Amino acid sequence: MRHQVIIIAAAAILLALAATPATAQAPAAGLFPGYTPPRTPDGKPNLNGIWQAFVTANWDVEAHPAQPGPHPEIMGAWGATPGGQSIVEGGVIPYKPEALAKKKENLEKRMAVKVTNDPHRYDSGETELQCYRTGVPRANYMPFPFQIFQTPSEILMVYEYKGAVRTIYMDPHREAPTDSWMGWSNGRWEGDTLVIDVTAQNDHTWFDRAGNFHSDALHVVERYTPISPYHMKYEATIEDPNVFTRPWKISFPLYRRVEENVQLVEFNCVPFVEELMYSPLGLYRPPSR
Amino acid sequence: MCERTLVVAIIVLFCAPVLVQAQAPSGTAIFKPTATDPETAIKAAAEAAKAAAAVSASNWTPPRTSWGDPDLQGFYLSLSYTPLERPPELAGKPFYTEQEAIAAFRKAVEEDAEVDPRTVHYDWKEYGMDAWQSPVRPNLRTSLIVDPPDGRIPALTPEAQKRRAAARERNPQVSVQTLDNLYTRCITGNQGPPRLPFNHDSESQILQTPGYVVMILQSNNDVRIIPLDGRAHLPQNVGLWLGDSRGRWEGNTLVVETTNFHRERNWRGSTDGMKLIERFTLVDPKTIRYEFTVNDPTTWVRPWSVESVLPRIEPPLYEFACHEQNYGLMNVVKGAQVREAERAARKN
Repeated sequence: MRHQVIIIAAAAILLALAATPATAQAPAAGLFPGYTPPRTPDGKPNLNGIWQAFVTANWDVEAHPAQPGPHPEIMGAWGATPGGQSIVEGGVIPYKPEALAKKKENLEKRMAVKVTNDPHRYDSGETELQCYRTGVPRANYMPFPFQIFQTPSEILMVYEYKGAVRTIYMDPHREAPTDSWMGWSNGRWEGDTLVIDVTAQNDHTWFDRAGNFHSDALHVVERYTPISPYHMKYEATIEDPNVFTRPWKISFPLYRRVEENVQLVEFNCVPFVEELMYSPLGLYRPPSR
Repeated sequence: MCERTLVVAIIVLFCAPVLVQAQAPSGTAIFKPTATDPETAIKAAAEAAKAAAAVSASNWTPPRTSWGDPDLQGFYLSLSYTPLERPPELAGKPFYTEQEAIAAFRKAVEEDAEVDPRTVHYDWKEYGMDAWQSPVRPNLRTSLIVDPPDGRIPALTPEAQKRRAAARERNPQVSVQTLDNLYTRCITGNQGPPRLPFNHDSESQILQTPGYVVMILQSNNDVRIIPLDGRAHLPQNVGLWLGDSRGRWEGNTLVVETTNFHRERNWRGSTDGMKLIERFTLVDPKTIRYEFTVNDPTTWVRPWSVESVLPRIEPPLYEFACHEQNYGLMNVVKGAQVREAERAARKN
């Protein structure tokens, strides 16, 4: 991996020297000069690698103070929420009034876990708590890395959290057969930006642990723009006329993980939630010690 | 049939979020005669087997990626009508003749296609998911196990026999925590590693980028990321449900070595000391030859090896959100508890 990083860096310097200013991408305000990323064999910007966001949006996509966790009596500082700034453009999600009330109710009931054969059980409780897939864009700002594998026909994103996987169809595009947890992704290149149209997500996932939510009409357009050998700018436009008064936008940087031999280390959380989910039904007996 | 019924019942119970997968199985073309008429399917499979054998005997050279690695990319199926272990009546006969292989294939297809829908929870052929509706072909081998030469899983060590007896004593089925079926618990899919034929969800994809091979399994959407850069395995204390894989090329063959299995994984009674070597070779444009050897001296008295074929199928794969709506797990455990209570009542 170190060699790869050096090669990428060297390629980036060469390309930067060769590039004319006209091809430069708009960088995050003042952070990096015009940057032309290295290319894959088919001439597209090379996004291969392990990436991770370092924002606190998984706790709350809007601005929030540090807070104690739900069980400070046993979890102490381990369970606490770090404070953080909003990743939402303009700071606040433009909820419809009734949707804002629902968001507040979600926050109240976020620890509810009700596993039954009742199809309405998703109406309460935060899905990450139960080790469910997080949907998009949340998967990108979980506090876990993810890895991009890029081919001309499709781009694969594998998330360390739960091993969730997304295929982004580049050529040919494919039609979503039905709704799913991670949705359906078709992608295209706009200059050096990977633009992904994400549809067909179900209405069970939330944007964070704070109850911010959407319906199954959610439409997300993501933009991944390399701005240095080690950074991508991530932007997403979020549209859902059932819940929001207008489309809104989030953005944050993604950082390349550059440690030698870095790899995703399986986070299969299913066994971690079995007691939480099945004990109330009498289906979980602690192991004999 | 009983086992199949049980498996089918489990699957259908937790398949609600996976219906997309059941409705549009990859690798099957529902309206083709080979998917609706067993006779046509048997003929086509026999011809395909012959054609594949001819190509692979002709020194066929597999394609290369733009960066020079053998190109295995595509979608592949692990279904088979060849049993893992050689049936006792075929003892001493590792290979069929071509005619015998077709006859055995025909027999298996006919049995599969004639399943009475009233006796099973799912009649897979309705969904185009029977093996004969896919590119599965006759196999000259009488068992998938090629070593030991008798085609049977080697004997368990005394230690492994003790472990197995103790597990039976505990009746692990009565609690989610101890249920010894990771697939029912949605912790892993039914495709290992290593991969053995299961009767559904056997689709997979191989994708390559410089330095990596990635395998995506339809079952549970398990993903194996295999680095090819010769790096060391993770430290032994880092146990993973899918193991820690490292790959390398030997000629046109991808060799994958997997260690660091999770201590509760219990694949066929094995321990976390199991070491797996898999070999993937594209032997003709439509076939990967898949070989593996498992070695776990605390479980089996000797290593054992399998050789099977993974025929190419059509894309894509679909989301397999298993844990997200696992009714089946609740019902299986509840059922085991009821049976246990009944047994206890009979004793009293």
